[in-house]
Amino acid sequence: MAAPLAFDRRWIYLGLGLLITGLYAFGSPEVLPPAEPVQEYYDAIEALPEGSIVLLSADFDPASAAELYPMFYGTLHHLFRRNLRVIGVCTWPAAPPFSREAFRTIAPQYGKVYGRDWVELGFLVGDDVAMGIIGQSLRSAYPNDALSKAPYDSFPLLRDVGDSSRGIAMLITTSAGFPGILEWIPQLSTRYDVPVLAGTTAVQTPSLYPYHPRPLLGYLGSATGATQYLQLVAPGTPALVPVRDENQRRMVAQGWGHLYIVALIVLGNIIYFRTRRRAS
Amino acid sequence: MMLLQQSPAWIDLDPTAPPDLLGAFLICLLTLSIFSFLYRDNPFYKLAEHLFIGVSTAWYTLEFYDSGVKKALFEYLPEKVHALHDPALAAATQLGGYPVSPGWALAWRLGAVALSFMLLARLVRRDAWISRWPLALIVGIYAALKMTGETQARLVQQIRETMVSLWPADASAVTIAGHLVLVLGLVCVLVHFLFTFKRTRTLAGFSRVGVIVLMLAFGARFGFAVLGRIALLIQRIAELNYFGQPQYSMGGSDWLGMLLTPPWLVGGLIVLVLALGALSRRGEPRQPAA
Repeated sequence: MAAPLAFDRRWIYLGLGLLITGLYAFGSPEVLPPAEPVQEYYDAIEALPEGSIVLLSADFDPASAAELYPMFYGTLHHLFRRNLRVIGVCTWPAAPPFSREAFRTIAPQYGKVYGRDWVELGFLVGDDVAMGIIGQSLRSAYPNDALSKAPYDSFPLLRDVGDSSRGIAMLITTSAGFPGILEWIPQLSTRYDVPVLAGTTAVQTPSLYPYHPRPLLGYLGSATGATQYLQLVAPGTPALVPVRDENQRRMVAQGWGHLYIVALIVLGNIIYFRTRRRAS
Repeated sequence: MMLLQQSPAWIDLDPTAPPDLLGAFLICLLTLSIFSFLYRDNPFYKLAEHLFIGVSTAWYTLEFYDSGVKKALFEYLPEKVHALHDPALAAATQLGGYPVSPGWALAWRLGAVALSFMLLARLVRRDAWISRWPLALIVGIYAALKMTGETQARLVQQIRETMVSLWPADASAVTIAGHLVLVLGLVCVLVHFLFTFKRTRTLAGFSRVGVIVLMLAFGARFGFAVLGRIALLIQRIAELNYFGQPQYSMGGSDWLGMLLTPPWLVGGLIVLVLALGALSRRGEPRQPAA
Protein backbone atom coordinates (compact mmCIF):
# COMPACT_ATOMS: atom_id res chain seq x y z
CA MET A 1 0.00 0.00 0.00
CA ALA A 2 2.86 2.39 0.78
CA ALA A 3 4.55 1.68 -2.54
CA PRO A 4 3.24 4.71 -4.54
CA LEU A 5 4.43 7.10 -1.78
CA ALA A 6 7.81 5.46 -1.31
CA PHE A 7 9.66 8.03 -3.40
CA ASP A 8 13.18 9.31 -2.84
CA ARG A 9 12.69 13.00 -2.20
CA ARG A 10 16.06 13.79 -3.77
CA TRP A 11 14.44 13.41 -7.20
CA ILE A 12 12.16 16.31 -6.27
CA TYR A 13 15.14 18.49 -5.28
CA LEU A 14 16.92 17.57 -8.49
CA GLY A 15 13.84 18.38 -10.54
CA LEU A 16 13.42 21.77 -8.88
CA GLY A 17 17.12 22.57 -9.22
CA LEU A 18 17.17 21.74 -12.93
CA LEU A 19 13.93 23.64 -13.58
CA ILE A 20 15.10 26.79 -11.81
CA THR A 21 18.58 26.68 -13.35
CA GLY A 22 17.24 26.11 -16.86
CA LEU A 23 14.63 28.84 -16.63
CA TYR A 24 17.04 31.32 -15.07
CA ALA A 25 19.65 30.65 -17.76
CA PHE A 26 17.36 30.54 -20.80
CA GLY A 27 14.10 32.22 -19.76
CA SER A 28 13.15 35.69 -20.96
CA PRO A 29 12.51 38.52 -18.47
CA GLU A 30 8.97 38.83 -17.20
CA VAL A 31 7.25 42.19 -16.69
CA LEU A 32 4.86 42.16 -13.73
CA PRO A 33 2.01 44.64 -13.26
CA PRO A 34 2.47 46.42 -9.90
CA ALA A 35 0.22 45.14 -7.13
CA GLU A 36 -1.84 47.69 -5.20
CA PRO A 37 0.37 47.76 -2.06
CA VAL A 38 3.46 48.18 -4.25
CA GLN A 39 1.92 51.12 -6.08
CA GLU A 40 0.95 52.62 -2.72
CA TYR A 41 4.52 52.17 -1.45
CA TYR A 42 5.81 54.04 -4.49
CA ASP A 43 3.13 56.73 -4.28
CA ALA A 44 3.75 57.32 -0.56
CA ILE A 45 7.41 58.14 -1.24
CA GLU A 46 6.45 60.30 -4.21
CA ALA A 47 3.99 62.23 -2.02
CA LEU A 48 6.59 63.28 0.56
CA PRO A 49 7.66 66.93 0.28
CA GLU A 50 11.28 67.47 -0.76
CA GLY A 51 13.66 67.66 2.20
CA SER A 52 11.49 65.47 4.44
CA ILE A 53 13.40 63.23 6.81
CA VAL A 54 12.96 59.48 6.37
CA LEU A 55 14.15 56.85 8.84
CA LEU A 56 15.35 53.89 6.77
CA SER A 57 15.83 50.78 8.84
CA ALA A 58 17.73 47.71 7.60
CA ASP A 59 16.32 44.81 9.59
CA PHE A 60 17.72 41.82 7.78
CA ASP A 61 20.77 39.59 7.45
CA PRO A 62 22.55 37.73 4.62
CA ALA A 63 20.02 34.88 4.76
CA SER A 64 17.22 37.20 3.65
CA ALA A 65 19.30 39.61 1.55
CA ALA A 66 18.22 37.89 -1.67
CA GLU A 67 14.69 39.12 -1.09
CA LEU A 68 15.29 42.35 0.80
CA TYR A 69 18.49 43.95 -0.48
CA PRO A 70 17.00 44.85 -3.91
CA MET A 71 14.15 46.60 -2.07
CA PHE A 72 16.56 48.46 0.21
CA TYR A 73 18.75 49.41 -2.75
CA GLY A 74 15.81 50.55 -4.88
CA THR A 75 14.21 52.48 -2.02
CA LEU A 76 17.41 54.38 -1.27
CA HIS A 77 17.71 55.36 -4.94
CA HIS A 78 14.11 56.50 -4.88
CA LEU A 79 14.57 58.54 -1.71
CA PHE A 80 17.67 60.32 -2.96
CA ARG A 81 16.13 60.89 -6.37
CA ARG A 82 13.23 62.61 -4.63
CA ASN A 83 15.68 64.79 -2.64
CA LEU A 84 14.55 63.34 0.67
CA ARG A 85 16.92 63.20 3.63
CA VAL A 86 17.68 59.76 5.00
CA ILE A 87 18.74 58.46 8.41
CA GLY A 88 19.94 54.86 8.29
CA VAL A 89 19.52 52.59 11.32
CA CYS A 90 19.78 48.81 11.83
CA THR A 91 18.19 46.56 14.44
CA TRP A 92 19.82 43.38 13.12
CA PRO A 93 23.53 42.93 13.88
CA ALA A 94 24.31 41.58 10.41
CA ALA A 95 22.57 44.43 8.58
CA PRO A 96 25.17 47.26 8.82
CA PRO A 97 27.41 45.99 5.98
CA PHE A 98 24.45 45.99 3.58
CA SER A 99 23.23 49.38 4.70
CA ARG A 100 26.72 50.86 4.54
CA GLU A 101 27.39 49.51 1.07
CA ALA A 102 24.10 50.84 -0.28
CA PHE A 103 24.64 54.33 1.20
CA ARG A 104 28.24 54.54 0.03
CA THR A 105 27.35 53.40 -3.46
CA ILE A 106 24.21 55.44 -4.03
CA ALA A 107 24.70 58.73 -2.14
CA PRO A 108 27.59 59.98 -4.35
CA GLN A 109 25.53 59.30 -7.49
CA TYR A 110 23.10 62.02 -6.37
CA GLY A 111 25.73 64.34 -4.91
CA LYS A 112 24.40 63.82 -1.39
CA VAL A 113 26.50 65.10 1.49
CA TYR A 114 27.00 63.07 4.65
CA GLY A 115 25.53 64.79 7.68
CA ARG A 116 23.37 67.13 5.64
CA ASP A 117 21.46 64.75 3.35
CA TRP A 118 22.10 61.41 4.99
CA VAL A 119 23.48 59.96 8.20
CA GLU A 120 24.18 56.40 9.14
CA LEU A 121 23.59 55.61 12.81
CA GLY A 122 24.27 51.88 12.64
CA PHE A 123 23.18 48.96 14.76
CA LEU A 124 21.42 49.42 18.11
CA VAL A 125 21.10 46.46 20.43
CA GLY A 126 17.80 45.87 22.23
CA ASP A 127 15.27 44.72 19.64
CA ASP A 128 11.87 46.33 20.20
CA VAL A 129 13.06 48.12 23.33
CA ALA A 130 15.65 49.82 21.14
CA MET A 131 12.89 50.78 18.72
CA GLY A 132 10.98 52.34 21.58
CA ILE A 133 14.05 54.34 22.56
CA ILE A 134 14.53 55.49 18.96
CA GLY A 135 10.94 56.69 18.96
CA GLN A 136 11.30 58.42 22.30
CA SER A 137 14.57 60.17 21.59
CA LEU A 138 16.85 59.53 18.64
CA ARG A 139 19.58 61.47 20.43
CA SER A 140 19.46 59.18 23.47
CA ALA A 141 19.49 56.10 21.25
CA TYR A 142 22.42 57.26 19.16
CA PRO A 143 24.67 59.83 20.88
CA ASN A 144 27.11 59.39 17.94
CA ASP A 145 26.84 58.34 14.32
CA ALA A 146 28.26 55.07 13.03
CA LEU A 147 30.73 56.28 10.39
CA SER A 148 32.60 59.21 11.93
CA LYS A 149 31.63 58.65 15.60
CA ALA A 150 30.88 62.38 15.76
CA PRO A 151 28.34 63.72 18.31
CA TYR A 152 24.66 63.79 17.38
CA ASP A 153 24.39 67.56 17.30
CA SER A 154 27.30 67.99 14.91
CA PHE A 155 25.04 66.89 12.01
CA PRO A 156 22.54 69.40 10.57
CA LEU A 157 20.23 66.56 9.59
CA LEU A 158 20.04 65.16 13.11
CA ARG A 159 19.62 68.63 14.60
CA ASP A 160 16.56 69.04 12.37
CA VAL A 161 15.07 65.83 13.77
CA GLY A 162 15.43 67.16 17.29
CA ASP A 163 14.81 64.99 20.30
CA SER A 164 11.63 63.09 19.60
CA SER A 165 10.75 61.13 16.49
CA ARG A 166 8.14 63.70 15.51
CA GLY A 167 10.69 65.24 13.15
CA ILE A 168 10.62 62.03 11.12
CA ALA A 169 8.21 62.18 8.20
CA MET A 170 8.22 58.46 7.48
CA LEU A 171 9.67 55.16 8.59
CA ILE A 172 10.68 52.65 5.93
CA THR A 173 11.87 49.23 7.00
CA THR A 174 13.13 46.22 5.10
CA SER A 175 12.22 43.55 7.54
CA ALA A 176 13.12 39.86 7.71
CA GLY A 177 11.46 38.92 11.01
CA PHE A 178 11.96 39.79 14.66
CA PRO A 179 12.68 42.59 15.30
CA GLY A 180 11.12 44.20 12.27
CA ILE A 181 7.99 45.80 10.93
CA LEU A 182 5.70 44.09 13.46
CA GLU A 183 7.71 45.71 16.26
CA TRP A 184 8.21 49.08 14.54
CA ILE A 185 4.45 49.53 14.22
CA PRO A 186 3.62 49.44 17.96
CA GLN A 187 6.86 51.00 19.17
CA LEU A 188 7.15 53.90 16.74
CA SER A 189 4.35 54.17 14.23
CA THR A 190 1.20 54.03 16.36
CA ARG A 191 2.84 55.57 19.42
CA TYR A 192 4.25 58.63 17.67
CA ASP A 193 1.94 58.65 14.64
CA VAL A 194 4.71 58.09 12.09
CA PRO A 195 3.54 56.70 8.72
CA VAL A 196 5.32 53.50 7.81
CA LEU A 197 6.27 51.55 4.67
CA ALA A 198 7.76 48.07 4.67
CA GLY A 199 9.52 45.62 2.44
CA THR A 200 9.36 42.11 3.83
CA THR A 201 10.31 38.54 3.16
CA ALA A 202 7.62 36.31 1.70
CA VAL A 203 7.21 34.45 4.97
CA GLN A 204 6.39 37.65 6.82
CA THR A 205 4.17 39.26 4.20
CA PRO A 206 0.80 37.74 5.28
CA SER A 207 1.41 39.14 8.79
CA LEU A 208 1.21 42.65 7.32
CA TYR A 209 -2.29 42.38 5.88
CA PRO A 210 -4.05 43.50 9.07
CA TYR A 211 -1.94 46.66 9.22
CA HIS A 212 -2.61 47.79 5.67
CA PRO A 213 -3.58 50.52 4.76
CA ARG A 214 -3.31 51.97 8.29
CA PRO A 215 -0.71 52.51 9.66
CA LEU A 216 1.13 50.64 6.90
CA LEU A 217 0.64 52.78 3.80
CA GLY A 218 2.12 50.22 1.42
CA TYR A 219 4.43 47.23 1.34
CA LEU A 220 6.64 45.13 -0.90
CA GLY A 221 6.24 41.39 -0.44
CA SER A 222 9.23 39.22 -1.29
CA ALA A 223 11.20 39.22 -4.53
CA THR A 224 7.99 39.64 -6.52
CA GLY A 225 7.13 42.89 -4.72
CA ALA A 226 10.74 44.05 -5.15
CA THR A 227 10.59 43.44 -8.89
CA GLN A 228 7.31 45.30 -9.24
CA TYR A 229 8.71 48.23 -7.27
CA LEU A 230 11.95 48.33 -9.27
CA GLN A 231 9.86 48.46 -12.44
CA LEU A 232 8.25 51.62 -11.11
CA VAL A 233 11.46 53.29 -9.93
CA ALA A 234 13.90 52.25 -12.65
CA PRO A 235 12.51 54.41 -15.53
CA GLY A 236 13.73 57.60 -13.84
CA THR A 237 16.83 55.98 -12.37
CA PRO A 238 19.29 54.60 -14.95
CA ALA A 239 21.47 52.98 -12.25
CA LEU A 240 18.55 50.74 -11.31
CA VAL A 241 17.87 49.40 -14.80
CA PRO A 242 20.32 46.44 -14.54
CA VAL A 243 18.94 45.54 -11.10
CA ARG A 244 15.38 45.63 -12.46
CA ASP A 245 16.35 43.51 -15.47
CA GLU A 246 18.05 40.95 -13.26
CA ASN A 247 14.97 40.73 -11.03
CA GLN A 248 12.64 40.41 -14.01
CA ARG A 249 14.82 37.60 -15.30
CA ARG A 250 14.36 35.75 -12.03
CA MET A 251 10.58 36.02 -12.09
CA VAL A 252 10.16 33.37 -14.80
CA ALA A 253 11.97 30.79 -12.69
CA GLN A 254 10.02 32.01 -9.67
CA GLY A 255 6.66 31.44 -11.34
CA TRP A 256 7.49 28.00 -12.75
CA GLY A 257 9.08 26.95 -9.48
CA HIS A 258 5.75 27.68 -7.82
CA LEU A 259 3.85 25.70 -10.42
CA TYR A 260 6.23 22.80 -9.87
CA ILE A 261 5.46 22.78 -6.13
CA VAL A 262 1.71 23.12 -6.80
CA ALA A 263 1.86 20.21 -9.26
CA LEU A 264 3.65 18.06 -6.69
CA ILE A 265 1.06 18.93 -4.01
CA VAL A 266 -1.79 17.99 -6.38
CA LEU A 267 -0.01 14.79 -7.41
CA GLY A 268 0.70 13.88 -3.80
CA ASN A 269 -2.97 14.37 -2.89
CA ILE A 270 -4.18 12.29 -5.82
CA ILE A 271 -1.85 9.45 -4.81
CA TYR A 272 -2.92 9.78 -1.19
CA PHE A 273 -6.65 9.67 -1.88
CA ARG A 274 -6.35 6.83 -4.40
CA THR A 275 -4.28 4.82 -1.92
CA ARG A 276 -6.80 5.49 0.85
CA ARG A 277 -9.77 4.51 -1.33
CA ARG A 278 -8.02 1.33 -2.39
CA ALA A 279 -7.28 0.50 1.23
CA SER A 280 -10.91 1.05 2.28
CA MET B 1 24.21 40.54 -7.52
CA MET B 2 24.63 44.10 -6.41
CA LEU B 3 27.23 43.01 -3.90
CA LEU B 4 29.19 41.26 -6.60
CA GLN B 5 29.43 44.38 -8.73
CA GLN B 6 31.32 46.07 -5.91
CA SER B 7 33.40 43.09 -4.95
CA PRO B 8 36.53 43.75 -2.90
CA ALA B 9 40.02 43.01 -4.19
CA TRP B 10 40.91 40.20 -1.84
CA ILE B 11 43.81 38.76 -3.82
CA ASP B 12 45.48 39.79 -7.04
CA LEU B 13 48.19 37.39 -8.19
CA ASP B 14 47.29 37.67 -11.87
CA PRO B 15 46.68 41.27 -13.01
CA THR B 16 44.19 40.10 -15.66
CA ALA B 17 42.17 37.94 -13.26
CA PRO B 18 38.99 39.29 -11.64
CA PRO B 19 39.86 40.86 -8.28
CA ASP B 20 37.45 38.62 -6.41
CA LEU B 21 38.53 35.25 -7.84
CA LEU B 22 39.42 33.82 -4.45
CA GLY B 23 36.13 35.05 -3.06
CA ALA B 24 34.34 33.44 -6.01
CA PHE B 25 35.91 30.07 -5.17
CA LEU B 26 34.95 30.47 -1.52
CA ILE B 27 31.35 31.42 -2.33
CA CYS B 28 30.97 28.52 -4.77
CA LEU B 29 32.54 26.07 -2.32
CA LEU B 30 30.25 27.08 0.54
CA THR B 31 27.10 27.23 -1.61
CA LEU B 32 27.68 23.84 -3.20
CA SER B 33 28.78 22.34 0.12
CA ILE B 34 25.44 23.32 1.65
CA PHE B 35 23.57 21.94 -1.37
CA SER B 36 25.51 18.68 -1.06
CA PHE B 37 23.45 17.92 2.05
CA LEU B 38 20.54 17.15 -0.26
CA TYR B 39 22.51 14.07 -1.32
CA ARG B 40 23.48 13.09 2.22
CA ASP B 41 25.33 14.40 5.27
CA ASN B 42 29.02 14.74 4.35
CA PRO B 43 32.26 16.52 5.37
CA PHE B 44 31.74 19.39 2.88
CA TYR B 45 28.40 20.19 4.45
CA LYS B 46 29.88 19.92 7.94
CA LEU B 47 32.70 22.31 6.97
CA ALA B 48 30.26 24.92 5.63
CA GLU B 49 27.92 24.50 8.59
CA HIS B 50 30.66 24.92 11.19
CA LEU B 51 32.16 27.85 9.33
CA PHE B 52 28.76 29.53 9.19
CA ILE B 53 28.13 29.05 12.90
CA GLY B 54 31.63 30.24 13.82
CA VAL B 55 31.56 33.33 11.64
CA SER B 56 28.00 34.25 12.69
CA THR B 57 28.83 33.89 16.37
CA ALA B 58 31.94 36.02 16.03
CA TRP B 59 30.12 38.71 14.07
CA TYR B 60 27.13 38.85 16.40
CA THR B 61 29.37 38.92 19.49
CA LEU B 62 31.34 41.86 18.12
CA GLU B 63 28.25 43.82 17.10
CA PHE B 64 26.54 43.24 20.46
CA TYR B 65 29.72 44.16 22.30
CA ASP B 66 30.14 47.32 20.23
CA SER B 67 26.55 48.50 20.69
CA GLY B 68 25.74 47.09 24.14
CA VAL B 69 29.03 47.39 26.04
CA LYS B 70 31.58 49.60 24.27
CA LYS B 71 29.28 52.47 23.31
CA ALA B 72 26.89 52.12 26.23
CA LEU B 73 29.58 51.84 28.88
CA PHE B 74 33.20 52.44 27.92
CA GLU B 75 32.39 55.48 25.78
CA TYR B 76 29.38 56.73 27.72
CA LEU B 77 30.92 56.86 31.20
CA PRO B 78 34.04 58.95 30.37
CA GLU B 79 31.86 61.27 28.30
CA LYS B 80 29.53 61.92 31.21
CA VAL B 81 32.41 62.29 33.69
CA HIS B 82 33.84 64.91 31.34
CA ALA B 83 30.41 66.59 31.19
CA LEU B 84 30.49 67.02 34.99
CA HIS B 85 33.18 69.68 34.46
CA ASP B 86 31.93 71.17 31.19
CA PRO B 87 28.76 73.33 31.42
CA ALA B 88 28.11 73.11 27.66
CA LEU B 89 28.19 69.30 27.70
CA ALA B 90 26.21 69.23 30.93
CA ALA B 91 23.44 71.28 29.34
CA ALA B 92 23.20 68.78 26.47
CA THR B 93 22.95 65.73 28.73
CA GLN B 94 19.68 63.84 28.37
CA LEU B 95 18.05 60.73 29.70
CA GLY B 96 15.25 59.24 27.64
CA GLY B 97 14.80 62.51 25.84
CA TYR B 98 14.60 64.63 29.01
CA PRO B 99 17.37 67.01 30.14
CA VAL B 100 19.15 65.83 33.30
CA SER B 101 22.41 66.60 35.07
CA PRO B 102 25.45 64.49 34.09
CA GLY B 103 25.68 63.13 37.63
CA TRP B 104 22.11 61.84 37.42
CA ALA B 105 22.80 60.24 34.03
CA LEU B 106 25.93 58.61 35.43
CA ALA B 107 24.06 57.26 38.43
CA TRP B 108 21.38 55.68 36.26
CA ARG B 109 23.94 54.07 33.98
CA LEU B 110 25.95 52.72 36.91
CA GLY B 111 22.71 51.38 38.36
CA ALA B 112 22.13 49.51 35.11
CA VAL B 113 25.67 48.13 35.28
CA ALA B 114 25.03 46.92 38.82
CA LEU B 115 21.85 45.18 37.67
CA SER B 116 23.82 43.51 34.85
CA PHE B 117 26.30 42.13 37.36
CA MET B 118 23.44 40.96 39.56
CA LEU B 119 22.19 38.89 36.61
CA LEU B 120 25.50 37.03 36.60
CA ALA B 121 24.77 35.80 40.13
CA ARG B 122 22.83 32.97 38.48
CA LEU B 123 26.19 31.34 37.91
CA VAL B 124 26.64 30.91 41.68
CA ARG B 125 24.13 28.45 43.09
CA ARG B 126 24.10 29.92 46.61
CA ASP B 127 23.53 33.52 45.44
CA ALA B 128 21.34 32.78 42.44
CA TRP B 129 18.40 34.57 44.09
CA ILE B 130 20.16 37.91 43.52
CA SER B 131 19.56 37.57 39.78
CA ARG B 132 15.79 37.51 40.31
CA TRP B 133 15.72 41.25 41.06
CA PRO B 134 17.08 42.47 37.71
CA LEU B 135 15.14 39.71 35.96
CA ALA B 136 11.91 40.89 37.55
CA LEU B 137 12.72 44.42 36.47
CA ILE B 138 13.38 43.32 32.90
CA VAL B 139 10.13 41.35 32.74
CA GLY B 140 8.16 44.24 34.22
CA ILE B 141 9.61 46.89 31.93
CA TYR B 142 9.28 44.70 28.86
CA ALA B 143 5.68 43.83 29.70
CA ALA B 144 4.79 47.47 30.21
CA LEU B 145 6.51 48.50 27.02
CA LYS B 146 4.81 45.79 24.99
CA MET B 147 1.43 46.28 26.62
CA THR B 148 1.05 49.91 25.67
CA GLY B 149 2.30 49.64 22.10
CA GLU B 150 0.80 46.25 21.33
CA THR B 151 -2.60 47.11 22.74
CA GLN B 152 -2.79 50.12 20.49
CA ALA B 153 -1.36 48.51 17.36
CA ARG B 154 -2.61 44.94 17.57
CA LEU B 155 -5.88 45.25 19.43
CA VAL B 156 -7.48 48.68 19.22
CA GLN B 157 -6.26 49.40 15.70
CA GLN B 158 -7.20 45.92 14.49
CA ILE B 159 -10.70 46.07 15.94
CA ARG B 160 -11.18 49.47 14.38
CA GLU B 161 -10.10 48.17 10.96
CA THR B 162 -12.69 45.39 11.09
CA MET B 163 -15.53 47.85 11.67
CA VAL B 164 -16.19 48.51 8.01
CA SER B 165 -19.39 49.51 6.33
CA LEU B 166 -20.88 46.53 4.48
CA TRP B 167 -22.47 48.65 1.77
CA PRO B 168 -20.47 51.87 1.50
CA ALA B 169 -21.79 54.49 -0.86
CA ASP B 170 -20.34 54.40 -4.40
CA ALA B 171 -18.44 51.18 -3.64
CA SER B 172 -17.81 48.58 -6.34
CA ALA B 173 -19.15 45.06 -6.09
CA VAL B 174 -15.62 43.80 -5.40
CA THR B 175 -15.21 46.15 -2.45
CA ILE B 176 -18.57 45.12 -0.98
CA ALA B 177 -17.69 41.44 -1.43
CA GLY B 178 -14.31 42.05 0.26
CA HIS B 179 -15.97 43.71 3.23
CA LEU B 180 -18.50 40.88 3.53
CA VAL B 181 -15.76 38.25 3.47
CA LEU B 182 -13.80 40.22 6.10
CA VAL B 183 -16.70 40.58 8.51
CA LEU B 184 -18.19 37.10 8.07
CA GLY B 185 -14.77 35.44 8.09
CA LEU B 186 -13.80 37.28 11.27
CA VAL B 187 -17.06 36.34 13.02
CA CYS B 188 -16.73 32.68 12.00
CA VAL B 189 -13.10 32.45 13.16
CA LEU B 190 -14.00 34.05 16.49
CA VAL B 191 -16.88 31.59 16.88
CA HIS B 192 -14.44 28.72 16.29
CA PHE B 193 -12.51 29.83 19.38
CA LEU B 194 -15.65 30.31 21.47
CA PHE B 195 -15.53 27.67 24.19
CA THR B 196 -17.88 29.29 26.72
CA PHE B 197 -21.11 27.99 25.20
CA LYS B 198 -22.25 24.55 24.22
CA ARG B 199 -21.45 23.84 20.57
CA THR B 200 -24.94 23.88 19.03
CA ARG B 201 -25.60 23.11 15.39
CA THR B 202 -25.57 26.81 14.44
CA LEU B 203 -22.34 27.48 16.31
CA ALA B 204 -20.78 24.37 14.77
CA GLY B 205 -21.72 25.62 11.31
CA PHE B 206 -20.09 29.00 11.92
CA SER B 207 -17.10 27.23 13.42
CA ARG B 208 -16.76 25.05 10.34
CA VAL B 209 -16.65 28.12 8.10
CA GLY B 210 -14.11 29.62 10.53
CA VAL B 211 -11.89 26.57 10.09
CA ILE B 212 -12.05 26.98 6.31
CA VAL B 213 -11.07 30.65 6.64
CA LEU B 214 -8.15 29.64 8.87
CA MET B 215 -7.06 26.97 6.40
CA LEU B 216 -7.10 29.55 3.61
CA ALA B 217 -4.94 31.84 5.74
CA PHE B 218 -2.48 29.02 6.48
CA GLY B 219 -2.45 28.12 2.78
CA ALA B 220 -1.58 31.72 1.89
CA ARG B 221 1.24 31.63 4.43
CA PHE B 222 2.55 28.37 3.01
CA GLY B 223 2.41 29.79 -0.50
CA PHE B 224 4.42 32.80 0.58
CA ALA B 225 6.91 30.54 2.36
CA VAL B 226 7.43 28.63 -0.91
CA LEU B 227 7.82 31.94 -2.73
CA GLY B 228 10.55 33.00 -0.34
CA ARG B 229 12.45 29.72 -0.46
CA ILE B 230 12.42 29.66 -4.26
CA ALA B 231 13.67 33.26 -4.30
CA LEU B 232 16.62 32.20 -2.12
CA LEU B 233 17.36 29.26 -4.42
CA ILE B 234 17.28 31.52 -7.47
CA GLN B 235 19.69 33.90 -5.75
CA ARG B 236 22.21 31.11 -5.18
CA ILE B 237 21.85 29.86 -8.75
CA ALA B 238 22.21 33.42 -10.07
CA GLU B 239 25.42 33.83 -8.08
CA LEU B 240 26.83 30.51 -9.30
CA ASN B 241 25.90 31.53 -12.85
CA TYR B 242 27.69 34.86 -12.37
CA PHE B 243 30.89 33.13 -11.31
CA GLY B 244 30.56 30.72 -14.24
CA GLN B 245 31.17 33.54 -16.73
CA PRO B 246 34.29 33.47 -18.94
CA GLN B 247 36.13 36.19 -17.00
CA TYR B 248 36.31 33.82 -14.02
CA SER B 249 37.68 30.98 -16.14
CA MET B 250 41.15 29.64 -15.43
CA GLY B 251 41.71 28.78 -19.10
CA GLY B 252 39.96 30.30 -22.12
CA SER B 253 36.38 31.12 -22.98
CA ASP B 254 35.32 27.97 -24.86
CA TRP B 255 33.35 25.07 -23.30
CA LEU B 256 36.53 23.75 -21.70
CA GLY B 257 37.13 27.18 -20.23
CA MET B 258 33.64 27.11 -18.77
CA LEU B 259 34.51 23.89 -16.96
CA LEU B 260 37.47 25.72 -15.41
CA THR B 261 35.32 28.36 -13.69
CA PRO B 262 34.83 28.27 -9.88
CA PRO B 263 31.34 26.65 -9.78
CA TRP B 264 32.30 23.83 -12.13
CA LEU B 265 35.70 23.21 -10.55
CA VAL B 266 34.36 23.24 -7.00
CA GLY B 267 31.23 21.29 -7.96
CA GLY B 268 33.37 18.70 -9.75
CA LEU B 269 35.60 18.34 -6.70
CA ILE B 270 32.64 17.82 -4.37
CA VAL B 271 30.99 15.28 -6.70
CA LEU B 272 34.30 13.43 -7.11
CA VAL B 273 34.93 13.19 -3.38
CA LEU B 274 31.35 12.14 -2.63
CA ALA B 275 31.45 9.54 -5.42
CA LEU B 276 34.72 8.12 -4.10
CA GLY B 277 33.20 8.02 -0.62
CA ALA B 278 30.13 6.20 -1.96
CA LEU B 279 32.33 3.70 -3.83
CA SER B 280 34.41 3.01 -0.74
CA ARG B 281 31.22 2.28 1.22
CA ARG B 282 29.89 -0.29 -1.26
CA GLY B 283 28.68 -3.36 0.51
CA GLU B 284 28.05 -1.51 3.80
CA PRO B 285 24.44 -1.20 5.07
CA ARG B 286 22.66 1.84 3.54
CA GLN B 287 22.03 4.96 5.60
CA PRO B 288 18.81 6.90 5.17
CA ALA B 289 18.90 9.90 2.80
CA ALA B 290 18.92 13.42 4.22
